[in-house]
Amino acid sequence: MADSLGAFEQAVLLSIVRLGDEAYGRAILKEVQARLDRDVAAGAVHATLERLQTKGLIASRLGSGTPIRGGRARRFYRLQPAGLRALNEARAAIDSLWHGLKWPLKGLRFQHD
Amino acid sequence: MTDTDRSIEFVRPPRWAEALLRVVLPPDDAETVSGDLLEEYRDVVLRSRGRRRADVWFVGQVMGFVWRAAWWWGVIFAVLFLGRTALDWFLPPADFRTRSIITTYAAVGVFVVAGFGSAWRSRSIGAGAVAGIATAAIAAVLIAVGALALIAVKHDAQTLWAIEHSGGLGEVLVLPVFVAVPGTLLATLGGLAGKLLRGARAR
Repeated sequence: MADSLGAFEQAVLLSIVRLGDEAYGRAILKEVQARLDRDVAAGAVHATLERLQTKGLIASRLGSGTPIRGGRARRFYRLQPAGLRALNEARAAIDSLWHGLKWPLKGLRFQHD
Repeated sequence: MTDTDRSIEFVRPPRWAEALLRVVLPPDDAETVSGDLLEEYRDVVLRSRGRRRADVWFVGQVMGFVWRAAWWWGVIFAVLFLGRTALDWFLPPADFRTRSIITTYAAVGVFVVAGFGSAWRSRSIGAGAVAGIATAAIAAVLIAVGALALIAVKHDAQTLWAIEHSGGLGEVLVLPVFVAVPGTLLATLGGLAGKLLRGARAR
């Protein structure tokens, strides 16, 4: 199996999938925050995007800026075939781990000393 | 577009923070990342938190980038320093000279390489200097915590004697702060080398 994706890497990749053509830095940050339901540092997302691009899982291109960002260019990201494979493998791994168990887990008996 | 929207487009976060962000990022990312932060600052944070807290938010985000650029070097320097401290306290030598030479050169190496790596990546000598300052600051905090932990672990009479005769706890806590200035200079020199070599490679 290829290098397995971390949870945050999956969150970023899935955000790119959801956003489609609008997957640029800030949009990805907001999507990840919404899905994880917590504040996320822009640096964490940027570092993850950089790492995913180095791994060949995503590619990027520069796009136009907007007035609210002072005309500064946006970097748009898109999933590469290797990224698609990695996401599918990650989902298959989770499904395999949970196979036969019902979510959410309930009624477990815990051993006390 | 409302008047509020128009006026918000002219509000800027602290310029020094924007400049710091551009220094620590590679040129390809400096514009796009600073644009992303500016967009979030103006579109959401400014409206919800007000100017002052929005500025605090922006500075916090920039410090996150600085942290990610230098935390590893701060940890390495702290481990080096605390390792030397632990040896001096728990296995005090007759002569500190050899250990001092080794750890001094190792510390020099950490700062030079930190600066070189940062400048290589961002193509800015300033990134080297920032790496030096950040490395020293991160290490100072880690060293203070680590030194207190060492004392908590072992504080028998022999150890306390060794602490006193190796410079004392005060030296351990203050020295990392004093290292910031020469460390930053060394990192800046490393940054100069990094930028020059990167430029030569590009040609």
